[in-house]
Amino acid sequence: MRPEINLKHCKACDICVYMCPNDCFSRGVDISDRGYFAAVVSAPEKCFNHGRTKKLICELCVLSCPDQAISWKDESTGDEGSGNEHQTG
Amino acid sequence: MDIFDFYRKDQWPHVFCPGCGNGTVMNCFFRAFDKVGWKLDNTVFVSGIGCSSRIPLYINSDAIHTTHGRAIAFATGIKLSRPELDVVVFTGDGDLGAIGGNHFINGCRRNVDLDVICINNNIYGMTGGQASITTPHEYISTTTPRGNREYPFDLAEIAVAAGANYVARWTTRHVHELTKSIVASLNKKGFNFIEVVSQCPTNFGRRNKMADPSALLEWFKESSVRRDKARAAAVDHVDLNLAGQITTGEFVSRERECYHERTGGSSHGDGH
Repeated sequence: MRPEINLKHCKACDICVYMCPNDCFSRGVDISDRGYFAAVVSAPEKCFNHGRTKKLICELCVLSCPDQAISWKDESTGDEGSGNEHQTG
Repeated sequence: MDIFDFYRKDQWPHVFCPGCGNGTVMNCFFRAFDKVGWKLDNTVFVSGIGCSSRIPLYINSDAIHTTHGRAIAFATGIKLSRPELDVVVFTGDGDLGAIGGNHFINGCRRNVDLDVICINNNIYGMTGGQASITTPHEYISTTTPRGNREYPFDLAEIAVAAGANYVARWTTRHVHELTKSIVASLNKKGFNFIEVVSQCPTNFGRRNKMADPSALLEWFKESSVRRDKARAAAVDHVDLNLAGQITTGEFVSRERECYHERTGGSSHGDGH
């Protein structure tokens, strides 16, 4: 599984960049549709959950994201993880 | 589990500032809520006034947004009239400790079956950054431009002294510990109080050279001391002063009888 950032929710607080122990995230350089420099998942292969499909560990980025913008995406199938299929109203 | 099952999708994204800790607390709370297996249909969320008291507006459940400081009083009434409902109070430091201080102390004393989550952001964030009762000593706010001369309240120690069943304090940097603590408090009867020291980058951090949310989280990480170690290190500390520390951990976990058990409980709930 790899973390994925929902650009509709991210407010570019960069808490994930600070929290990730493996530096998977980096500060954004491109402006999102909402006008924020949303963080990007620059090194998903460094994530503790790289190659895992269940019993995820760490999850500091998902838990600490104040906007619930980070969710897990399965690398092998390309299916969207939980939390991302939802549409904002 | 999809975390958005618990939220009102039409209200999302929320209005909290970028980097506000309220979202983190919501995230941890609903992971714990899911783990405990509570149902939204059987839960009432009560809040007062403040940034953190906006949280029930985003929850897909029955909620009551009450007058300033009176969240615990309203929640006590709900619990006594409908004992079968689970009542959760989301409140802030100004709401719970300042204007609602007496309700808080007497709620702990009565030991009503409530789960109170106090998001302490060290400032009156919604009204523009005035010093609150939990603003640390020497820290700057709009009403204390030369540093706060007062010492802050220690809400968790007050709850211990007043007789709450479960008291814990964590920060938004300790997300896993906070989730475990919420699980423990939801599983317990009686007045369960969790204080979450949270970041307010807009009104607290910006004036105290910590405008970046990650700077505030680093401050929490550096100044947090576990309670068992803290007692040995400093007996007479005041939490969150300039040279001080944030004592984190589980303060107390006891099995006092709750209010509706003492008063017969169901006799109040017959009216519905």
